[in-house]
Amino acid sequence: MKKPLSSVRKFYFLDYFYVLLKSIEKFSEQDQIFELFKSLKQEHRLGESKYKKLTADAQNLSRVQLVKYQYTFEKVIAESLEYDLIIQESGKFQLTEIGKKLIEQYNDGFESFAISLFKLMESKYEAFRYIIDLLYKSGKAKSGLFILPVYSPLQLGFDRSEIKTTKDIWRYSEALGKKLEQDISKYLGEQRNLSTGSKTLMEILIKDELISSEYLTEFSPIKYNAIISRFRDYWVKYFLQEIYHYEYYLTSFEIWTYRAKQIGIIHATEFYPYFNGKIVYPTAVVVKTTESKDFQKIYTYSDGYSLFLHKPDIETSQNQFVDFLVSAYYDLRRTNRSYFISLAALKEMVCYNMKISEYVFQELLDAVYRANLSGNLKIKISLEVDRLPEETKAMYLKQEPVMVDGRFRNIIAIDVARGDR
Amino acid sequence: MSNLLKKPTQLQNYESIGTYERFNLSENPFPSEPTVNKESTDKRINGNIYEMQIREHEYEQILTNFIKQPQNNPNHIRLGYIIDSSYIGRGNGKSAFLLNLLHTINREYSLDLSDEQNKCFAIYVSPEPGGRTKTFIGFIDAIFDSILKSQIISVCLATLRLEAINKLHPELNFGHFSESELVQHLNDPAWFENNSISSSSVQSEILNDVHLQDLPSDFPIFSGRNTFYPTFMTQKDFENYFRELKKPKEKIDFIFTHLVKFFLAANFNGAYVLVDDFERIPDFQSSRQKKDFALELRSCLFDGYYTNAKLGFYNLILVLHAGVPRLISDAWASSGMENRAPINQLNYKHIISFEKLTKEHVALLLKKYLTEYRIDPNKSDGLSPFTEGAVHQIGELSEFNAAKILRMAYELLEKAAGIPTQKLIDENFILDNRGLWETGDEPEHNIDIAKTTDLLSKAMGQEKE
Repeated sequence: MKKPLSSVRKFYFLDYFYVLLKSIEKFSEQDQIFELFKSLKQEHRLGESKYKKLTADAQNLSRVQLVKYQYTFEKVIAESLEYDLIIQESGKFQLTEIGKKLIEQYNDGFESFAISLFKLMESKYEAFRYIIDLLYKSGKAKSGLFILPVYSPLQLGFDRSEIKTTKDIWRYSEALGKKLEQDISKYLGEQRNLSTGSKTLMEILIKDELISSEYLTEFSPIKYNAIISRFRDYWVKYFLQEIYHYEYYLTSFEIWTYRAKQIGIIHATEFYPYFNGKIVYPTAVVVKTTESKDFQKIYTYSDGYSLFLHKPDIETSQNQFVDFLVSAYYDLRRTNRSYFISLAALKEMVCYNMKISEYVFQELLDAVYRANLSGNLKIKISLEVDRLPEETKAMYLKQEPVMVDGRFRNIIAIDVARGDR
Repeated sequence: MSNLLKKPTQLQNYESIGTYERFNLSENPFPSEPTVNKESTDKRINGNIYEMQIREHEYEQILTNFIKQPQNNPNHIRLGYIIDSSYIGRGNGKSAFLLNLLHTINREYSLDLSDEQNKCFAIYVSPEPGGRTKTFIGFIDAIFDSILKSQIISVCLATLRLEAINKLHPELNFGHFSESELVQHLNDPAWFENNSISSSSVQSEILNDVHLQDLPSDFPIFSGRNTFYPTFMTQKDFENYFRELKKPKEKIDFIFTHLVKFFLAANFNGAYVLVDDFERIPDFQSSRQKKDFALELRSCLFDGYYTNAKLGFYNLILVLHAGVPRLISDAWASSGMENRAPINQLNYKHIISFEKLTKEHVALLLKKYLTEYRIDPNKSDGLSPFTEGAVHQIGELSEFNAAKILRMAYELLEKAAGIPTQKLIDENFILDNRGLWETGDEPEHNIDIAKTTDLLSKAMGQEKE
C-alpha cells in the first residue's frame, strides 16, 4: 500500500537532503548536526531564492526563524529515515550506504542526485506518477497542461486606492469570476458559471470578518493583502479540485510539482510570458515502452509501466531547438523595443513548446551557444549577465537565472543575419 | 388525441420585450472582439460599419495625392506610407480604414474619384503574421493571392470579351445586365453557347489588342490558340499558370510586366496595392534581407526593366505602425529607396500620418454603430443610451484607441441590458462597472495557440505538433 501524497513533509528543495547528509557525515549528535545544518542551509541559500541571498546570516537568526529552521530540520530527518538514508541508534545519527552514495552523486552533479532521490520517493509514494497521470488525463486537450490563473486587482484594472469597501471587493470579485470563466472556456473549452463560487468566497470573507456584510462599509487597509491572497488561494484550489479533480491539498500539489520540477519530470512556472498565474505540464511520460530515442527510462512500476524523461538528443534536435529559440525570440521582441530580451522568459516559452525541463533547455542552449562561439551556427547568439531596465528588483529576485557556458545569464539577443533560417 | 392537436400549457408572452429593445436597438451593435476580419459576414467586424468622417483628414490626403493625380504622369507617387502616429499600437482603426478605402476605390474603379482621369482597382494585402512573407517572392505571392481574391482578372476577361463582342456584333445590347451579372455571364462558356456567340471568334478578336502583342506565348490568354478547339479562359487558368512558375524571376516578370499589359488591355491604367501590417515583413528579416527586399522593390517600382517600373502602374501604400520606419530606415537608405520615397520626411506628400482619435471622433464612432442597429431608424436617438459625459469618459479610459472604445461600449451596453431598470449609461454607471472591459485584452501571442510538442504521441511514435 502506497502512502498518500499528503503525508509528505513541507519542504521543497531537494538540496535539503544533501545538507542534512553532509551534517550527519560530520557529526552524530542532534544539536551539532543542527548547527551545521543551519549554516549549510544558509550557504546553499535554501528556503529563499536559491540564487540570491536575502536573509541574515546563520548566527543572527530571530526566534521565529529558528523555530522554522528547527521544523524543517526535523522534517528532513524524518523523510531521510524513511528512505534509509540515515539511521538513528540510541539518539545518535549515522549515514547508511545509500546516504553516502547520495552525497557522492550530489558532488558529481545535481541531476543524478535528484534522480536517485526520485526513485526513493516514488517507491514509497508514487506521487509523481499520480500527478503526471492526472495532468495527462485532465489537461488532455493541451497535452497535459494545467493552468492556474491568478489576477490581482491591478491586473484587472483596479487601482488599490479604489478598493476600500465591500462593494469594491464585490466588483473585483465579479470581474475576476468573469475573467476566470473566459480562461476556462478558452483554455479548457468548457463553459462554467463561477458566480456561486464567487458568492461562497464573499460569504467566507464576511464570516472571517475580513470585510463587512454592509455594502458601503470600509475595511481596514491592513487586511487588504490577506483578502487578495484569499482570492488567489480560493480559485487556485477551485481549479485543482473542481476542474482537474486533484484529490489532495493544494500544498501537497505544490510540494510535489516543485520537487518534480527539480528532477526534470514536470515543469511548473509562474513566469510564462503573457499568462497571469501558474502553469504546470509534464516533461515526462508514463508508458509501457517507447521507440523514440528522445526518452530516457528512469523508473519502472510494478504494473509494467515506466517513467520516461523527455530528453531530446542534442545532435538530432539542435535544428528544432534553434527554430523554437528564434521564433520565441521574435515573439518576445515584438513587445520589446530592445534587441535584448529576458532569457528566463525565452526559456519558459521554449520549454513549453518542446516540453522539456529546464535542465534539458540549459544543455541544449549550452551546446548551441558553444557552436555559435566556434562559428558553426547559422545564427548569432549573444548572452549577457545584465538585467533589462524594465525588470523590477522583485522579479529579478524571484526568477532564477539560466546557467550557460558556466555563467549565469539573464538576457539574450539573437541575430539571424548570417543566413536564412 | 393526436399529438398534432395538443397544445402546450405554457403560453408565449408577446408582451416581453427584447433585451436591447428598450434602447431602440435590435441587438448589441458593438463587437465583443473588435479586430477587423475582412472575411466575416458580421458587419460589426468586417469593416463595413465605418464612419469616414473620423478619418476625413487622412482620406482627403489620399484622394488628393494619389487618386486624383493623373496616372500617366511618370512623376506620380508610386509608393506611399500610412504611418500610425500613436504608440498605443493595435486597434487604432487602420485596417478598417484600409478596407473602406478599398471598397471606395473599387466601387467605380476610382473613375468617380478621379473625374474619369484614371481607372484603377485596389487590392488589399496582409502579410502572414508568422513571417512567411518575409522574402520578396513571398510578398509577390501575397500580392497575387490578393489579385485573385479581388476577382479582378475575371473582370478584365469580361471587359475584353465585351469589347470584342461589341465589335463583332454591334447589334447586340447588354445594357439591361448589371455589372456583376455581365462579369458572371462573360466568364461562362454556357452563356456564349446559349446566346449563339462564338467564343473562339471573340477570343481571336481579343488577341488583336495592341497591349497583348508582345506577351510571351505561354501567357494564359493564348493557351489553345493554335489548337482545333480553343479553351475558354477563366481566372483559374491564371492561377494555375502562376503556381507553375518556379523561378523568382518568372514570377516577378509575370506580375510586373505581363499582368500589367493584360490590365492595360482591359482599360485599367493603374492599381492601388494596400499593404496592411507591413511590419510583419521586416520584423522577420535580417538586415541583409531588409536591404535585398528594398532593392527588389525599388527595381520593380521605379527603375527595373519592367513595364510597371516604366509606367508606375501599381501604386503601393504601406501601412506602418509607429516605430516601423526606424526599423527599415537603414535598408531604405542603403538601397537607394530613401531617395525615391523617403520614409523619414514627414512633410512629404506621400506620407500620411494616421492620427489619434479625438473626443468628437469617439461620439461619431459610437453613433455610427448605434445607428446601424436602431429598430426605428427615424427616431432620432443620438447617442442614447450613452450620455455625452459617458462618451467622453469612454474615450479617455480607452486612451482613444478605437478597438478599446468599441469593446468598452459593448461591455457597458451588455451590462446595462441585464439590469431592467437601467435606462442610461452615464459616468456613474461607468464608474460602478470599472474592470468589466479590462478583461479579455489579450496579446497576439498566447499559450493557448502556442505550437507545442505532444509528448505522449511522440513517445507512442505518432508525433504531431
